[in-house]
Amino acid sequence: MEIHLSWVQALGGTLAVALPLALALFLLRRFVRAGRRDGESDWTVSAVDDHGHGSSSFHRWDARCKLIGLLLFAFAAAALSSLALALAALAISLAAALACRIPMRGALRRLLAMSGFLLMLLLVIPFTAASRPGETLLYFPGLPGLPFHVGGLLLALTIVCKASAVALLMEPLFATAPLTVTLAACARLGVPESLGRMVLLCHRYIFVFLHEMSRMYRSMRVRGFVPATDLATANAVGNFLGMLFVRSFERTGRVYEAMLCRGYRGTFPSSATFTATASDYAKTFCWVMLGAALITLDLLRLLPW
Amino acid sequence: MHFIRDDTIRRLHEEPLYRLDHVSHRYPDGTQALRDVSLGLYRGDRVALVGRNGSGKTTLVRLLAGLLPCGEGEIRCRGQVLQGELSPQQRARVGVLFQDPDDQLFCNTLNDDVAFGPLNLGLGEDEVERRVVRCLQQVGLLALRYKPAHHLSYGQKKRAAFAAIMAMEPEVLILDEPTANLDPRQEQVFKELLSDYQGTLLVIDHDLLFLYDLCQRAVVMSKGEVHHDYSFAELVSQPAYLREHGLDFTFRFSCCGGHHHSHSNGDGQRHSHHLPSHDHGDGRQHTPPAAVQTPLLELQHYSFRYPDGTLGLDDVNLAVHRGDRLALVGENGAGKSTLAACLLGLQRGEGYFFFDGQLVPNRGRPGELWRRVGIVFQNAADQLFNPSCREEVAFGPQRLGLRGAELQRRVEESLTRVRLEGFADKVPLNMSGGERKRLAIAAALAMEPEVLILDEPTAGLDPHGEELLLGILGELDLTTVLISHDLFFIGELSERTVVMHQGAIIRDYRTTHFLTDEHLHSINGLDYSYKMECGTRILALQNGSIGA
Repeated sequence: MEIHLSWVQALGGTLAVALPLALALFLLRRFVRAGRRDGESDWTVSAVDDHGHGSSSFHRWDARCKLIGLLLFAFAAAALSSLALALAALAISLAAALACRIPMRGALRRLLAMSGFLLMLLLVIPFTAASRPGETLLYFPGLPGLPFHVGGLLLALTIVCKASAVALLMEPLFATAPLTVTLAACARLGVPESLGRMVLLCHRYIFVFLHEMSRMYRSMRVRGFVPATDLATANAVGNFLGMLFVRSFERTGRVYEAMLCRGYRGTFPSSATFTATASDYAKTFCWVMLGAALITLDLLRLLPW
Repeated sequence: MHFIRDDTIRRLHEEPLYRLDHVSHRYPDGTQALRDVSLGLYRGDRVALVGRNGSGKTTLVRLLAGLLPCGEGEIRCRGQVLQGELSPQQRARVGVLFQDPDDQLFCNTLNDDVAFGPLNLGLGEDEVERRVVRCLQQVGLLALRYKPAHHLSYGQKKRAAFAAIMAMEPEVLILDEPTANLDPRQEQVFKELLSDYQGTLLVIDHDLLFLYDLCQRAVVMSKGEVHHDYSFAELVSQPAYLREHGLDFTFRFSCCGGHHHSHSNGDGQRHSHHLPSHDHGDGRQHTPPAAVQTPLLELQHYSFRYPDGTLGLDDVNLAVHRGDRLALVGENGAGKSTLAACLLGLQRGEGYFFFDGQLVPNRGRPGELWRRVGIVFQNAADQLFNPSCREEVAFGPQRLGLRGAELQRRVEESLTRVRLEGFADKVPLNMSGGERKRLAIAAALAMEPEVLILDEPTAGLDPHGEELLLGILGELDLTTVLISHDLFFIGELSERTVVMHQGAIIRDYRTTHFLTDEHLHSINGLDYSYKMECGTRILALQNGSIGA
């Protein structure tokens, strides 16, 4: 079906979609950046496991079982093709993130970081999706050759919901136990230990790196550096990044030597112990079943969209 | 080489814990770092390893720690030759505290960091737990046991790294610049921790005043060789030896002997906050007193809070006049660097900030402040990011729009002022700490600022570098704000001292009064008297030696 919109309809429709989105983004941005001063660069990064010692049911869940249950659910959510089911997955993830009883700022910050990419999808896919028989096409005045696919919009919204659901799920997955415990659990599930060590060191040194970077950038600012789109900026930024790389490279050598001095022989010692109880298995079963139910409903195509 | 007195008679009968016999080391790039070094480290030795930068101290330490293979010569531990890859047990005998604690705290929490060594030694969980608790308790960090390192202050990180080493119960403890960037209180904490250590101690430090009571033996290295090996008292009592190795700190004795210089010719009452100008105008800002010169920098009721809620500055009132030479002192975390950041416009708080009588807005861009206020940061490496000294110094003036002959003039003049003539094409990364510090000063001076803020300019410098820096800073004819714990530099380079504590200004008086203030210790725990006492004792030693 083809619908040719008038200027009023086109403007009204665009505003109806864009305004709530813009408002949501504005509020999200405001909430995430609350407390930061005007013009001040924010170099802070929250540690993944800042709230790893809580008492919610996610905190009490055996890390190995939690990884299996939540990751399977995340894969199921990512595989959905129905918007209604993607919305359901998003609602479940949101409920899980709230149930962790840890501040939502981290999760919302992650969503904000994704928002640019997701907005681009919302804008591009409806105009570029392949036409399907029986699909509604909206023609904006002045754009006769570029129909707006309603199916494309639904597809883009489905992707947004699925991405947000998985992003929200990262909170209960990684923020409800100390990172060392989560990585030890990964190792028990067969993830190579070297990968875990790399993640652990990255997580530790991202703060040192950012601190170093902020100090260097600050010293550029006090000498009048203002980023612009010119060759001088490219030159200064190139030198800045180069020096940062050299310093970081030198640090890796020093850290490795410090590790050797304390008896390091290729493996990080871990004192994490795991004991799964019936409750842990039950929680895992529930999450796996939730994921399976979503996939089954999706395959049966019982929902209109 | 000069004489080596491998001293006492007891050592004739004692097997050294570590013995280096004719050890030489050459790096792959051909640099000869050590030449024919023979040295014995005995149980209970407390050795100061001193010498100029590049004299081979670090290479020697890396060989002892098993981080470098021994090329020529032989290293024996308890009579056994050390060869090939060392086992964790062999490594555990030597604990090394590196300069930067962030290199040493690589785990997710303090608990994991301290447990790392003992777990690698294969100790049981109960024993590991016991050691973790004991070591963290010893350094006063047990309450922060499950905190990640990035939540700690610099002094806490340094102590945490120390705990991580001590948990391995090393027989030999090697410390590389243990007190760099620490305030006197933290220094004292470290001194007490080291005094309690019963094993063999080897300390690399330029601060001979800190080492004075701690070490009995001094090993002086020069060009990869051991030049002197004698008692510490002998080293410090011979100014000629000290001068020869760039360790002569006797230029400080004009301070520590109590003969403070005061450059002040005012009445010491220039702080506008204590003048009648404290009346408030229509807004909340002070009304300017008619008869007093407009301060170059002025903060009125200025407070700053970090995004996490920590109070950085608490109702600060400060006026700095043109030509003032001001010192900012206080314990680590007192707010000195935050205040400097506010004066630079890098941090904006609540209150009134006037630059040359003009209100600097608390929101938006800080205007042209960067053109008029310069800073030399504590760690010069943070300030240097260009591939050559010329480009480094030219960076700021280029941002001011200077080109051609004027730019060239500024670069050359600035390098000359800091005694770095001929360094224009050198790579800053390859320069020594002292040279880098001077380069950072040149980079700031090239912008011809009206105010220069110096954040711990002496951190990490050897006495020779300090003396050179003192000369350079003494020649500067501009308003300076000196942030330092170094009493001698404060005495020499400032007329007025502002003492900060927990974000607030608790004292603002003449430097001569600060240097004789006996109440500061009770307020913020800063005790500068210990080093003065050491200096006086060393001076007495030297006088005795010269008299004899």
